[in-house]
Amino acid sequence: MDRALARRLEARFGTALHGPARQRHDQTEIRIGAGDVQDTLRALHDEPDLAFTILADLAGVDTGTEMQVVYHLWSATTTDWLRVIAEGLSRDDPRVPSVTFLWPGAEWMERETYDMFGITFEGNRDLRRIYMPPDYTSFPLRKDFYLPDDAARSPGAGVRHVERTHSPVDAAPGVLRQTKA
Amino acid sequence: MATVTPPRTGDAPPRTFPKGTHPSEDDPNVLLEDDYAFYEPIPPYPPRTEREAEFYTLGDGEMFLNMGPQHPSTHGVLRVVLKLDGERVVDIDPVLGYLHRGVEKLVENADYHQTISQVDPLEYISSLFCEWAPVEAYERLLDVEVPRRAEYIRVLSGELNRIASHSLFLGWFALDLGGLTPILWSFIERDEIVEMLAALTGQRMLFNYFRIGGVNGDLNHEFMSRLGDWMSRAVVQIEAGEGLLNENEIFTRRASGLGVVDQATALRLCMTGANLRATGIPFDLRRAHPYSIYPELDFDIPTRTEGDSLARYLLRMEEIKQSLRIIDQCLEKMPDGPIMAKLPRLIRPRPGRAWAAVEGPRGIYGAYAISDGTDQPFRLKIHDPSFIHLQAVGALLPGNLLADTMAIMASLDPVMGGVDK
Repeated sequence: MDRALARRLEARFGTALHGPARQRHDQTEIRIGAGDVQDTLRALHDEPDLAFTILADLAGVDTGTEMQVVYHLWSATTTDWLRVIAEGLSRDDPRVPSVTFLWPGAEWMERETYDMFGITFEGNRDLRRIYMPPDYTSFPLRKDFYLPDDAARSPGAGVRHVERTHSPVDAAPGVLRQTKA
Repeated sequence: MATVTPPRTGDAPPRTFPKGTHPSEDDPNVLLEDDYAFYEPIPPYPPRTEREAEFYTLGDGEMFLNMGPQHPSTHGVLRVVLKLDGERVVDIDPVLGYLHRGVEKLVENADYHQTISQVDPLEYISSLFCEWAPVEAYERLLDVEVPRRAEYIRVLSGELNRIASHSLFLGWFALDLGGLTPILWSFIERDEIVEMLAALTGQRMLFNYFRIGGVNGDLNHEFMSRLGDWMSRAVVQIEAGEGLLNENEIFTRRASGLGVVDQATALRLCMTGANLRATGIPFDLRRAHPYSIYPELDFDIPTRTEGDSLARYLLRMEEIKQSLRIIDQCLEKMPDGPIMAKLPRLIRPRPGRAWAAVEGPRGIYGAYAISDGTDQPFRLKIHDPSFIHLQAVGALLPGNLLADTMAIMASLDPVMGGVDK
C-alpha cells in the first residue's frame, strides 16, 4: 500500500476526485466523474511523477443503479495498481469520453464494453459491436439481462428450470413460482 | 438466380447492391452477375462507424479478401477481412465472436468456486494462468492467506504450463512460416508436460486445479517422477527443437524485420508480455509487481530490442530457460505444510472490489472482481492478453505481404479462446 501515492493524487486532482483515495492490499482507487476522464487520465499518463503508461484493463460495470467504467493502470513510480473509476453514468444513456487518444489499444476494450453494456465512448472512431452479431439489440452484461436458466432467480435454490422434472401444473398452487423476478 | 441472403432483423437491412453501387463494379477484372448471390466480405448493412465506412471503401486498385473463419492457420475460429493492394496488405478488419461464450455472465450466475471451471477454456493452452488471476482476486476479496506450499505448487505448475505454451508457440510459428517439422518436435515437449500436469491435476488441458485459498491436490509420486525424468533431459530437448529454427537461415531471414513495433507504439497499443519485452521494455509482472512467491526466486527477465517477429520468438525461447530455473528452485525450496487455507465451503466475501493480475505466457492475465456480499460474484472482468495482441495485428500488418499476415499474427501468439471469451 503506497500511502504517498494517495496523498499525491489527492493533492494533484483535488476536487475532481469524488471522495478521498481508497487503498486496500496493493491497490489505490480514485473515483471521478465522466467529464473528468480525459483530463485525469492524460495527467496520469503524461506527468513524469505519475507516468502511468500501462493501461492494464478497461472494464464496464453495471451496479444496478448506475454504470461505471473502470481503468487499471500501472506505473514504475509506485508499487500499487491504480484503479480509476469513472462513476455516475446514467443507465439510460451512459456516455464517457474515449481514452483511445492516449492508448489506441483501448479501442477494442471500449468496443467490448459498448457491446456488453451499451456504454458510448465518445471519440472512439470504431464503436461497433465486437462479439455479438451486428443485428443484436441487447446488452448482455447489464444486470437487467437475465439468463434463461438463471439459477439465482429460479424457484428452489440452485435448481435450474431444465432440471425440474414436474411441470408447474402438477404442483399445488403457490408451491412453485413460474416466473423469474 | 435468387439471392441466398437470409432475412435479418433489427436495423440491418438485407444485403442488396443495386446495379452500379457495388464497390467492385468498375473493376474490369471482377466479373459480377446481376444478382450477387455469392459470398462477399462487405457487410450487408450500412457502415455503423466512421472507421467501418473507411475500411469498406475501396481505393484505386484495391480489393477485399476474406480469410476465415475456417482458415487452417488462424489459430482458432477467426475471420479477417483483408484489404489488399496487389500482394500488399493495406488494412485489416478482424471479425470476432465465433467462440464467444459470455463467460463473464456465466460467472456472475454461478458461485465463487464455479468460476474456476468456467475460465479454464479461455486460453486452453495456458489454463492455469486463466485460473490464477480470478482466484487471486477472490483471495483478496476474502483477505485469505494462501499457504506457502500451495504458492510453491502454483508457481511450479504455472511455469510448466508456460513452457508447454511457449513450445507450442514455437511449433505454430514455424508452421505459419511454412515449416512442418518443428510442430512435431514441440508437441513431444508439450505432451510430456501435459501428461505430467494430468498426473497432478487430473486433466490434460482444462486443469481446474487452483482453488480459492490453495490448490486442489498435493504433489504426487507420478507427477514427481515424470517431472524428474523430464527435467534431466529438458534442456537438451528444447535446444534441439530450437536448433531446427535458430540455425535455419530461411527462417531467420524471413522472420527478422517482420512486424516491427517500437517501444512507444507497443505501450500505446497496450501490449504486454513477451511482445512488449521484445521491444526492450523489461515489464514482467513477476518483477514489476511481484505476487505469490516470485520475490524469493532468482531468475532474469530477458529482453530484446529489435521488436520484430524473430525477437519475439527468441525471447520466448529464453523464457523457457528461465522457467526451468524457476522450477529447479521451486523443487529445491518446496516447503511442507497444508495446501489449502481454511475457508468455509460456501464463501460470501464482504462487499468490495479487488483486482489481480498475473504474468502469463502471453502477457498479463487480469481479473477485476466485485463482491456484493452474496455467494455469487457481482461482476468479474477478465482481461486477456490475446485480445489486445490480436488488435495490435491491425497496427503491425499494413505494408506487409499477404503471406506475412499469419506469420505476424503467430508471432504475437494470440489464442482465440481468450480473444472471444
